[in-house]
Amino acid sequence: MAADRLQVDTIVIGGGIAGMQAALDLADQGYRVALVEKNPSVGGKMIGLSKVFPTLDCCSCITTPKMAAVAYHDNIDLLTYSEVQSVSRNEQGFVVQVLKKPRYVIDDACTGCRSCELVCPLDLPDDANEFGRTAHRVIYVPFTTAVPQKALIDIDQCVFCGKCLQACPSDAIDFSQLPAFLEIQARSIILATGYQVTRYDAKKQYGAGKLRNVIDGLMMERLLAPTGPYGRVLRPSDGKQPASIAYVQCAGSRDETLGVPYCSRVCCMYAIKQAMLLSGMLPLADITIYYMDIRTFGKGYEQFYRSAQAMGITFVKGKVARITEDADQNPTVRVELIDDHSQVVERKHDLVVLSVGMLPGGDPQALYGVPTSEDGFVRIPNYNVAPATTTQEGVFATGTAIGPMDIVDSIVTASAAAAEVSAYLQSHYAAGSLTDAERSLIHA
Amino acid sequence: MNVTSKEQARKRTQMLVELRKQHDAQVKQAQERLKEQQTIRKTLQRAMQGAPRSVPQLAAITNLAAYEVLWHIAAMKKYGVVEEAGMDTGGEYYLYELSKEAKG
Repeated sequence: MAADRLQVDTIVIGGGIAGMQAALDLADQGYRVALVEKNPSVGGKMIGLSKVFPTLDCCSCITTPKMAAVAYHDNIDLLTYSEVQSVSRNEQGFVVQVLKKPRYVIDDACTGCRSCELVCPLDLPDDANEFGRTAHRVIYVPFTTAVPQKALIDIDQCVFCGKCLQACPSDAIDFSQLPAFLEIQARSIILATGYQVTRYDAKKQYGAGKLRNVIDGLMMERLLAPTGPYGRVLRPSDGKQPASIAYVQCAGSRDETLGVPYCSRVCCMYAIKQAMLLSGMLPLADITIYYMDIRTFGKGYEQFYRSAQAMGITFVKGKVARITEDADQNPTVRVELIDDHSQVVERKHDLVVLSVGMLPGGDPQALYGVPTSEDGFVRIPNYNVAPATTTQEGVFATGTAIGPMDIVDSIVTASAAAAEVSAYLQSHYAAGSLTDAERSLIHA
Repeated sequence: MNVTSKEQARKRTQMLVELRKQHDAQVKQAQERLKEQQTIRKTLQRAMQGAPRSVPQLAAITNLAAYEVLWHIAAMKKYGVVEEAGMDTGGEYYLYELSKEAKG
């Protein structure tokens, strides 16, 4: 199949908060940018979060304007539901082959009205956005604030009843769509491939994912979000409103047994934030945070921690050894109370949240030839001088692709990456490595 | 329906028949899943007709696991079939009832 072609100054891989920020910073300077996102919508993990720490601003309110901006910016080509297949070098930089997966819905025709979704007869677990706690239909718009606001079909689950065809007011359904290939000529690449969290079923001492009322921090974010699966905080085993909630810190970081010796930097703060939000939503609930150390290093973070203590959230110094459950599926935490003569106690809660850590979102070596550090994140050889420059000329990295960090730092490093790329592009264009004709083509 | 729209409808039907043939195995699996889901939904709707119910109550009536009931209730709530109807007397569980639209 012949590939369509696109020529840009920079291709940004990953449409989370860091990728979007870097793309916008470059596009605002007049550079042409292609933004490639593997999911059907941009927004990354941040769009699924409830609020940010320490300001408790609404995540959606910060993220959605950027999502809309990358979609409608004149200098950005947004490619969602698309994945990089191969990367090679040539004299003009890089040739990147991108696979655009079929939505079975014509992008230009779909208005996102959801008429198709409402008549579709079959519900499927929404694993991608809601950890399977609620459903989407076989044809669906990924979530309320998705950008682009376009439907897609899970073709493997479709019964081809034709109801969506009848309901669509703009004849946008197209079952004949095939994967399409796009060839992008780019002078530089920014890796903003993000992170994944330590699997909450990784530790058998914590139930290995078999205890329904032991969840992880991202799952709790969805329960806290107004757009979440239940519209309120309920425990997953039976829909009970929890009266006692515990957080287990360092449940996926600083743990040699999981191969994650480093601190993930965000877990203390997101646990404190969630505890504060829970305290507001469930004023009668007991909330306990079991911790080894509390690390509140950022601006305003220590005050945030002290506010949580003042709100009545209980902080217990001690490493949780084991979590089991009773006959009613109440999780029971076995913990050594370090500040209480190291006595070992068992405490029953309605819901336990594992503060899981951050792992690299992907391996940049295979596609981009970019080596990683011992922790698996992109190696930045001279971080203090050039915090986004990798060992490969023309390839930059930002956000949690380079290491665990919070949203503020992701945005800061994204802007740093854009500045470094801008300088890199200027040096190349000033050196005359492109002809005037080529440059005018890029900026046409 | 004029001649053109009749012709379009005929072509559309033919296309769907062809697609079902092409994807035969997966269509059969999806149809099984749909059938099972519709049966469960009808049972849950019947259970909510008399009075609002909590998830454990619905689980007891339908012999489904409570976590499965919760999934169906969350899905039905999302698509406007079910609404919350306050809490039980113990203040632990929300009650659910059919929406006005679902009651017809």
